[in-house]
Amino acid sequence: MTDEPAPDVRPAASRRRANRPTLSRTLLAWAFLAPTVVFVGVFAYWPAVRALEGAFTNWDGVSVPQWIGLGNFRSLFHDHIFFQSFVHLFWWTIIGIPLGMGASLLVALLIYRLGSRRAQYAFRVAFSLTLCLPGIVGILTWSYFYQTGGVVDAVMTDLGLGHSSTSWLANPHTALWALILMGFPWVGAFAMLVFYAGLQAIPQEIIDAAAVDGVTSLKRVWHVELPLIRGQLKVILVLSIIGITQNLLPPLLLTQGGPGYDTYTPVLYMYNSAFDYARMGFALAIAFVLFLISLILAIATMRFLRSDTDNRRKVA
Amino acid sequence: MSRPQSMHFGRRVIHYSALLAIGILALFPMYFMAITGLKTGVQLQANPFNIAIAHPFGTFYVAAWHYIAGDLLRTAIIIAPSVAGIIFFGMMSAYALARMEFYGRTVVFYAIFGLLLIPSFLVLIPLFLEVKGMGLQNSLFSLILPYVAGGQAFAMFIFRSSIEGLPDELFEAGRLDGASHFRMLWSIVMPLSKPIMIVIGLINVTAFWGDYVFPSLVLSASKSTAAMAIGNFQPPVSITSIDVVNLQFAAYTIVAIPMVLLFIIFLRYFISGMASGAVKM
Repeated sequence: MTDEPAPDVRPAASRRRANRPTLSRTLLAWAFLAPTVVFVGVFAYWPAVRALEGAFTNWDGVSVPQWIGLGNFRSLFHDHIFFQSFVHLFWWTIIGIPLGMGASLLVALLIYRLGSRRAQYAFRVAFSLTLCLPGIVGILTWSYFYQTGGVVDAVMTDLGLGHSSTSWLANPHTALWALILMGFPWVGAFAMLVFYAGLQAIPQEIIDAAAVDGVTSLKRVWHVELPLIRGQLKVILVLSIIGITQNLLPPLLLTQGGPGYDTYTPVLYMYNSAFDYARMGFALAIAFVLFLISLILAIATMRFLRSDTDNRRKVA
Repeated sequence: MSRPQSMHFGRRVIHYSALLAIGILALFPMYFMAITGLKTGVQLQANPFNIAIAHPFGTFYVAAWHYIAGDLLRTAIIIAPSVAGIIFFGMMSAYALARMEFYGRTVVFYAIFGLLLIPSFLVLIPLFLEVKGMGLQNSLFSLILPYVAGGQAFAMFIFRSSIEGLPDELFEAGRLDGASHFRMLWSIVMPLSKPIMIVIGLINVTAFWGDYVFPSLVLSASKSTAAMAIGNFQPPVSITSIDVVNLQFAAYTIVAIPMVLLFIIFLRYFISGMASGAVKM
């Protein structure tokens, strides 16, 4: 978003005709914008400003906050729970995002390659149904799957993988992995539909040309289809990075960060600091660091993928 | 597509079975929820996968409905105005940005889209304290107002590109007929934006329906949303402890059913809205 050249935000009509803004037009336009501006100002920008400001105070949520400069950030730097929580987030990102995007892409490709339009539609509908499952319901269902003698154990016994009597979420060796791998087979219906829309938009001539050249199926995926849905891959990757840093519910509901601190993530640490220990200033400092890191990651991703697309455009 | 005739029969079988297998696995939690709500704890322990029926039929669904009906209604009362506000205000702003020329446009454009960069966890704490400071704690407005604000950026992002994509001639004709901007928004943009409105509506409804963290900060247990009620499950004393799981899954299923119905009703629009390719960078 930020590194793109400034988009031309003038309306389509005025790009063609010199259509000068006048005072009356301006008043009318601001009347259209007024509800959004008020809501966004009061319930999004104001709290964001308070958050940035609060990160530099010893605020406890009740008494008047005192400015302590970089004090919170200094304590964070020496806080090993904070570092541990970032290590967990790192694994979550490195493993969770490829699994989620890979599974969604695979399903999108499989559906796109189906011969029959009706079968394509039927499968899109079936996978879209998973969107109906509210996130919290899915998480609670998985917490049951992971119980001792739960569904995961039953499946492992049935497959002859031995009888495991561990409680997946309480065992320090398995808890983090159980959270990361939750949601098997990891197909995100939203991502799948976005990828499918991208595949659908590939001109038929390109596909036919590839077929004439005798390009094999797998090569076609790699050399034709993936490069042509780069825009979709990029938006889902950026959304996944932003989403995973905010992923509070699984550890909050299933493990509370335990056993010990084995499933702490930065956002859970923030939540607990604020609401269990009333360290609002400290919690906001965590939020601030996490925000900066996810922002840098998102921008880096966009820049990395953009230069790639540009190269391809020059070649083409 | 021209491929299917040439595609080898064996490969087609593998292709379909792969999709079917992944689809069954993806939908398994929904199946599991629904059948577990039907059986007793003893039947569940005997075999978690098969279908067994507790006596009398649907007994846990009835109990779960009594447990959660009020919370479901409350959640719907919160969500309906929130989503209506997001769609209507978002569309008005997007229209102004896409079709009107005025002073301050660039500033407003970046100010609203900059919101996409502000993550929810950053504002969680100050927003909670702000809502509390306004005396809204335990009022449904403590959720409605932040929800309307939180949905604006994404709604505008999508609406703006779809309004820009509408042919100029429509608006030209409207202008010649002397239609006001509001009139054009109402009679040209709204009817043509149905699939996009439905995509935005459904994405927001499902997000709010399952929202747990912020509601549990601002509402007390007696004013739970559906997500809070299942997240902080308090089994009624009349239920034997071995059957609590079944009651819980019956409640999960009941919470999911309104979303399934919404999707079935709006499916056609949702699929075509998503297929319009509006979501990309």
